[in-house]
Amino acid sequence: MIADRIIEQGTLTTTGTRASVDVRIPWYRALPGSCIAGAGLTIDGVAAPAESLRWTMNGKEFTFEELSTNVEEWWFPLDSAVLSGDIPLAVDGAEHEVGVDLVLYIPYIVTDHGVLHIEERGRATMKAVAA
Amino acid sequence: MTDLGSPIQGVTLYSFTRASHAREYDLESLMRKVAAEGFGPGLEIIGFSSFRGFPTIDPAFAEEFRGLVSELDLVTTSLAVNADIGIYRDRLLNQDELIAYMTRQIEAAATLGFPIARVQISLTPDSMEQLVPVAEKHGVTLALEVHADQYASHPRILALRDRYEKIGSPLLGFTMDWGATTVGFAPSAIEAYRRRGASEELLTEVVDLWNTFYSQGPPANQEVHGQRFGAFIGLAHKHGRPEFGIDFGINGTGLFGPARVNDWLEIMPWIRHVHGKFFGIDENGEEPSVPVRDLITLLVENGYKGAVSSEYEGWHWNYWQSPFDIIRAEQAVQRSAADAAGSRMITDSAEARAQLATHLGQLQR
Repeated sequence: MIADRIIEQGTLTTTGTRASVDVRIPWYRALPGSCIAGAGLTIDGVAAPAESLRWTMNGKEFTFEELSTNVEEWWFPLDSAVLSGDIPLAVDGAEHEVGVDLVLYIPYIVTDHGVLHIEERGRATMKAVAA
Repeated sequence: MTDLGSPIQGVTLYSFTRASHAREYDLESLMRKVAAEGFGPGLEIIGFSSFRGFPTIDPAFAEEFRGLVSELDLVTTSLAVNADIGIYRDRLLNQDELIAYMTRQIEAAATLGFPIARVQISLTPDSMEQLVPVAEKHGVTLALEVHADQYASHPRILALRDRYEKIGSPLLGFTMDWGATTVGFAPSAIEAYRRRGASEELLTEVVDLWNTFYSQGPPANQEVHGQRFGAFIGLAHKHGRPEFGIDFGINGTGLFGPARVNDWLEIMPWIRHVHGKFFGIDENGEEPSVPVRDLITLLVENGYKGAVSSEYEGWHWNYWQSPFDIIRAEQAVQRSAADAAGSRMITDSAEARAQLATHLGQLQR
């Protein structure tokens, strides 16, 4: 697992009301959308409402509900996905603490408790730039 | 008496996951690095790690890839493919879907020029039997990986072996993963927990717990496996560090398997490929938790002439050492062990190519 690289440094952008950050897979192989079980985004401890979260990969934007049935679009290990959500954030030159929580299903490992899932948490500090 | 074996040296790019994930190397530059370092000639790749869009392989890309393998004088051994039985959120793949899912990946192995597809434990004896015609059509050997928490004499593995024997196809076999037969909780993993603030008391108890399970031997069934996993979690809670629990459990039961080296004799004639799984090299140039020398000796004494992919898995936690230095050192141990057993590792590409074809019972391509 490569949890130390979930958030890409220097990728925090804001529209003023909506923030986004680039996210790397903490795993060694590609996974389809259906295996991206969920995510959380916080800036300076403020969490984006779950229903506002969107996931962009391969140039397409998805809700997490849409991802749950998608086995066509894959998150390749070299690619960044973009996680965005409603969080008010100004381009103020200050350092912001970004948090990303990620839950992934590992589809080839089936345990007595169902398909294995891993929960990873990334933390990084960076300035915001205008989207 | 069996002729002595002479395993083919090689590496899986999985060993360099951290370097490729960091975008320090793309597939081509990593293959060039492997060739320049002499980590081959054997080359193993995980389909879903290294090939964008896998298992769909563009014919032009396949030609390019084969050209690069040829230019670098590497020998493609195994394409690691995945039995993603849990790809849908609400159900497991049904049998027809699973066979179709595996078929596409076996075809990709053939397209890319890999003579072996490493498959995984989710495939039952029935699934393996169903895949024989696919393997035959494409001339690809299916080598099911025996990986901790399973081990050679595990009932699920013996059931597969017995079915192989009944079917009698030369294209069915196993990938031996050395992680099933380790002799200790990897010191580099312990060091990583130390760097994350785990106390010496906790770490001592983790090692002691693993040693207790080692003395008891591998888990007889999934229930015992589950109990051991739970015991590692309990230890983390007891010391007020619950965040380490799952990690202790995954590593303590799924990476550091406690079966004995001789357990492999149960399936030795069906071993078609080897994952030389290991976790680190100590100050004496030895692997402290995987008995590399004993495993190579076992393979040599039992006439094994297939490939060994050095598979460094310490990258999960070891961010402070170069995987390239570690692979170089581990392969030196393999070569030394093979020499000591009265044989040698094959490092010449032409020799490796010819020997691998014979080992797999295939016509040389």
